[in-house]
Order: sequence, then C-alpha cells, then structure tokens
Amino acid sequence: MSVELLDDLEAGELSVEFEGEEPEAVLEWAIERFAPRISISTAFQYDGAVLLHMAYAIDPSVEVFSVDTGRLPQETYDLIEAMRERYPELNLQLVSPDAATTSAMVGKHGPNLFYRSVENRLLCCQVRKVLPLTRHLAGLDAWITGLRRDQWATRSDIRKVEIDHDHGAIVKLNPLAEWTEEETRDYVRQHDLPYNALYDKGFTSIGCAPCTRPTQAGEDLRAGRWWWETNAPKECGIHCAIETGGLEHELRALVGDDD
Amino acid sequence: MASTARDAPTLDLVLKRNSVERLKREKSPLGILDELPALIAGGYEQVPEEDIVRLKWWGLYHDKPKIGTFMLRIKLAGGIVTPAQLRAIGEISNVHGRGEGELTTRQNVQLHYLELGALPDVFERLEAASLTSAGACGDTVRNITGCPLAGLAHDELFDPTPVIEEAAAFLYGHPTYSDLPRKHKISITACTDSCAAPEINCIGLVGALRNGEEGFGVLVGGGLSSVPRIARDLGIWVPKDEAVTVLVAILDEWREDLRYRVSRVKARLKFMIDDIGPEGLRARIEARLGRCFPDFTLPPAPPPGNHLGVHDGYVGVPVHLGLVTGDQMIALADLGHEVRLTRQQNLVVVTGDDISAELERIGLPVDASALRGDAIACTGEPHCNFSVTETKTRMDSLVRLLEDRFGREADGLRLHLDGCPHACAQHWVGDLGFQGTTVRDEEGRRRQAYDIFVRGSLDRPAAIGRPLFRRVPTEELDEAVVGLVQGWVGGRAAGETFRSFCDRSSDDELAQLAGREISVGRAA
Repeated sequence: MSVELLDDLEAGELSVEFEGEEPEAVLEWAIERFAPRISISTAFQYDGAVLLHMAYAIDPSVEVFSVDTGRLPQETYDLIEAMRERYPELNLQLVSPDAATTSAMVGKHGPNLFYRSVENRLLCCQVRKVLPLTRHLAGLDAWITGLRRDQWATRSDIRKVEIDHDHGAIVKLNPLAEWTEEETRDYVRQHDLPYNALYDKGFTSIGCAPCTRPTQAGEDLRAGRWWWETNAPKECGIHCAIETGGLEHELRALVGDDD
Repeated sequence: MASTARDAPTLDLVLKRNSVERLKREKSPLGILDELPALIAGGYEQVPEEDIVRLKWWGLYHDKPKIGTFMLRIKLAGGIVTPAQLRAIGEISNVHGRGEGELTTRQNVQLHYLELGALPDVFERLEAASLTSAGACGDTVRNITGCPLAGLAHDELFDPTPVIEEAAAFLYGHPTYSDLPRKHKISITACTDSCAAPEINCIGLVGALRNGEEGFGVLVGGGLSSVPRIARDLGIWVPKDEAVTVLVAILDEWREDLRYRVSRVKARLKFMIDDIGPEGLRARIEARLGRCFPDFTLPPAPPPGNHLGVHDGYVGVPVHLGLVTGDQMIALADLGHEVRLTRQQNLVVVTGDDISAELERIGLPVDASALRGDAIACTGEPHCNFSVTETKTRMDSLVRLLEDRFGREADGLRLHLDGCPHACAQHWVGDLGFQGTTVRDEEGRRRQAYDIFVRGSLDRPAAIGRPLFRRVPTEELDEAVVGLVQGWVGGRAAGETFRSFCDRSSDDELAQLAGREISVGRAA
C-alpha cells in the first residue's frame, strides 16, 4: 500500500518543514503525493470552505467528503447546493450513517435520545458521525482536516503532517493548523466564498440541528452545543470536532468499542 | 538557517499564533493553586479548559475519560525519595486515589483518579513531606534525572547529587523557568555509563574529569517524541561549581529566543540546535557569560546499566511494568531505607543488607529476570488520553511469553513499548521498540496494532531506531517478536547485544526472522 511510503520519522520531519508555510504548500504537496486516495473532510464551516477553495484551485478532481448525519440543519444543505454551483466539477461525497444501525438505535432509544443522557448523546454521535467517518477513512491513504490550534487550549500542538494512529495509520494533514479563526473568516470574506447562513444568526459552531443553537454576545461558547448536559467529557463541550480523534477515545471509554 | 535577527518574530506574532503563550501571559499557571478553593466551589463542570491546562503546571493531567479525575505527577529530583516521602505518596494514593502508583521514565511517581475536591489535602500532604509537583508538567523544567546510584556506586567519578539538588532547588517552581517555550528535560550524572540517558534530554550534564578536576561535559538538543534527535556535544568542559550557572545560561538563551515560541511544534531546544548547531549555542553561552570554557568532547560510553540485584550498598529491584500499589510504597517505607527510582521504572533500595526476603514479602522479588526489569511501557490504556493501544498489559504478555520461551536467554534485551508517538517509554531507543497504532481488518473493524522499531540504542553514540515492521496486528505481534529474539539467541556471538545483531543483519534477514514483510520506509 502506498501509505507505507510515509512513516512517523518522515511525517515528523515534514511537520517541522511545513511550519510557517502557507496552507496551499501543504495541500499541493499532499495532493501530488496521495491523489486520488486523499480526501478533504469538511463539516461546511468556515475552515472547510477555505480548504475546499484552495484545493479546487490546485486540482478540481480532489475528493471532498462530509458526513451527512441525517440531522443537519436546512442551512447546511443550502450551503452544499451553493458549493455545487460555485464549483461545477466538485467531487463531493456525502457519507451517510449505516441505515440498519441507525434504525436500531432510534428504535431502541427514540429519535431524540441525545437529550436524555450523555451516554445517549455520545451513542448518537458514534452512530451518525464517527462510524461513517471511520468507514470512509478506511478507503483512503490520507485525509485533510480544517483543525486549527486556536480551537482548543489543549490542542495547541496540532501538526500539519501526522500519522493518524487512530485510523489505521493513514496520513492526516492539517494545513490550517497555524491559522486563527479571524484569518479563516477574512479568507472567506476576501474570496467571497459561500458560507453557512447560520453564522449570521448567531451560531458560533455548526453541527446537527437538534444539538446546536445560537449564542448571545458574551455568552460562554459552551452554551451553543449540548447546552443541557452536565458531566459531559471536557473538550467535547464546545468544538467537538470528530477529526481530532479525541471524541473516539472518550466514546470507547464511556460507550464501549466502536464496532 | 533562520538565525538572523531579521527573522526574529515579534511578541505580537507569538501571541497571535500560540494560544498557550497567550494563556501563560493572561494568568500565571503556577498561580492556579491559589484558585483551587474557588474552582472546587464552582464544581468541575465549570472549570474552564484554560484552567485545566494551567493545572498541568502542578503536575495534573486529565485521566480518561475527561470527566473529573486527575493524574498527579510528583517530581523526585535524581529519583531520590526518603522513607517518609514514600509513605506520604503511598498514603495519598490510598486515601485519595485508587491505591496505585506508577514509576516513570523520568523518575517521577504518578497517581491516578484524584478528584478536584481532594487536591487541597493532596498538596498539603506533599508540602508536609517536602515533596513537590511544581513543573511536573507544562512548559517547565521537568524532573531532573540522574543515575540512581549517585553517591553509592564505587566507580562513579564523583557524587553529582549536590548539583542536582542545587539545580532543582533553583528551577522547580521558579516563575521565570516555568515559562519556557515548552517542556524542558535535564539530566545530570557522573556515573560511568549512560543509565540516565543524557542523549535524549534537552540538556545532559555528564560528569568528566579534566586535569583531575571534577566537572561536566555538556550534551544539548536531545529528545524523542514525534521528531527524535540524539543530543550533540556542546564541546565544552564546565567545572562542577559552575554547572548550574551554565545550565541557567542555556535556559536563558533558549527562553529569550522568540523564534521558538511561535509554534509549539518547534518549541524544543533540539530545533535551535538544528538551526545554529552546538557551536552556535556555545558561542552564545560564552558571550552571555563573558568568558570561554575549555574545549572538551565526551568519550563513548557503554550501554546503560540497569543496577538490578543485591550489591554492596544497594539492592536493585525490578518493578514489573513500573506499577506499585500504595500499600507497597508504605511497606517499602517501613523498611526505613532511602529509595531511588530508575529510568527503567524500577527501584534501588539504599542498604548494606540483603533485604531480598523482605522485598519478596512486599511482592517485589529481586530475582526477576533482567528482561522484565529492563522492559518499559508507557502509562497508556486505560489512563492516558493519547494512547491508541494497550501498553503495560501488552508488555506484560510479551515479557511472560519471552520468559516462557527463552528463560534467562533473553536477558539483556531492552523492550520499550508506547501507545502513541509521544514516546514516554522511549520506543525510539529500545532494542525492540513498539509504538501503538491501528489497522482495519477484512471486515473493516478497528484492531490494535504496533509498529516495530529496531536498531535503536542508548549507547554513546546513541541511535534512533527505525520502524522496520509497520501496523503489525496485536494478534500477530508475539510471533514476530519471538522470531526476532530466536534469531538473536540462536545466531549471536558470545555476549553480542541485540542491537549489534540487528546492525549486522540485513532488513531482509530480519524480515525473514519476523516472518513479515518490511515497511517500504523512507527510501521510497
């Protein structure tokens, strides 16, 4: 398998070499090296729009994928349509949860199970987000995320090139690692990129419709996601990006193994 | 090389790019201890993530899952612990933890499952026993390591313990040296081998005589984690009474250079050494201190010793997987002897008596195999948030397997197993290094697996191993390891080390022994 071409030694050295380099440099290198077995993971937030725009300019055929949990807000689907219009050759894969697993979960716990306990909410995240993600990654040599160091106090050392040991040791690229949220927004504005209409309605982080709500100015960011929960794992309370691998570790500890 | 003044970034850029630098300046992490009562009153739920990060400066990390309990890392400079201190640690573990403790590769003790509300009492008990966890984690000088036989070994050049104590007393909890670009690792030894592994520390002071005078050679820029480096010789000799002055001068040069604060990926001394070389750092140190030091290069050293067994003046005790219970720590304290922790997660008891029987009674048999004593595994499952595989439990089964198959024939083999690339168990420099990873099986199910590293070493010159076999499913690991060890046991010259055997064997020969294909690796 071609993924064997990159081991931890090489990934470590590359991660140092790419420090201070623009995101496009990482994308160009990665697409050249791994296409077509490389894909950009996006939840159609600002960072995803930036990566998609940059990658499309390098190679329009590069795959972009997103997990369609089945519970996304209408505004996110509208954005997907706007993206398809803006980028006519867009190679977009919408990945769905497994139908049988989902109906078994909903049959047992009900469609709004997540409001009832942290375990139920994590189970729902697992079935609707994590399992489709990990299944899709299993067919890739490399994936690209929009993870940034400024998203979590505890993840300030995200590398631009990593071996993803959570996911079969494929290569994981985080080209926006050095960027701030402001730089991301500025890029979207400057290039007039389509963005999620929910941002204009006070949303700071966008996920599934039932689990996300707008926050007021000055309100804790945690108020925007799973606001009803007490005793949820730390770091899963604000930006619970499935791309970090952290959620999967919590899931295995609290809900059990993922298979 | 980015070493001109023109390239130096502004503090504004540092603060824009690096959230931890912001966090440190907004509020001193060391000051978080004063806020404990308020944090406890508000409840764990309300503790901001930034304050969770600050708690690291007092040696506290989240256990897994992150729902309210902490790991505490207690620093023991040079690995030295008195009976009263050991008793205090055992009692904290029994009263506030779950009666367990871990000996670490930096000669710390770690306890798990401490609740936020217990921390004031925990810190009172530490203080009463003259123990500290200040700077055990965070951007600080981490525990200063040393040879566990300092002051005991008959063949050491001199006893470096006063230097270790002076450095620790000055640096631990010092606000200035608790705001380094990232963690900083120091080792100070004057023994005849490299058991404290100065080659993989940011700074290693290595005892050396010059014209009969006691002093140190200096190694700089070592470190493992995701981008491993073997330390390089600074090229100077430092008299013993100036050792801490030079140590601090290196730290000052390091912490003041903003180039290495922009990104935490490059915030280790090894990257400064990559950029300016040891000669560049030497010039800066000499300019800073306003004088020159004599040229000096450290001679080669033999492979690190493990100090196991009953000796004149001490008893080296293998601690399987570095795991001890609170009761064992208290029982050890009852014996009334000073104890030293070793890099190999073992103990040395300072006594002139043969206390094998007492140790056996405590559940720490002295006559365990050297294979068992040398084996190192990281904290890993179930405690660590980074690990993707079993670590100590997997090492346990590997050690038992090799003991069953080879008896004492496998003694001398150093097994190092980590659950993630951070390399707490130093898998890059083991005879056989293992790093946890995952594979998907034919049904698409996630399976634990390991990369196998060979040709790593802590001899001087030390060497970084290479992942020769990658993503070996845990179910197939035993067979590969037995094959490699069988090859060594059956094919070695008298006394030949595993490293030497691997160095003279081709990749293909090793692949044949392991029954696996080699990773295509970096040559491609």
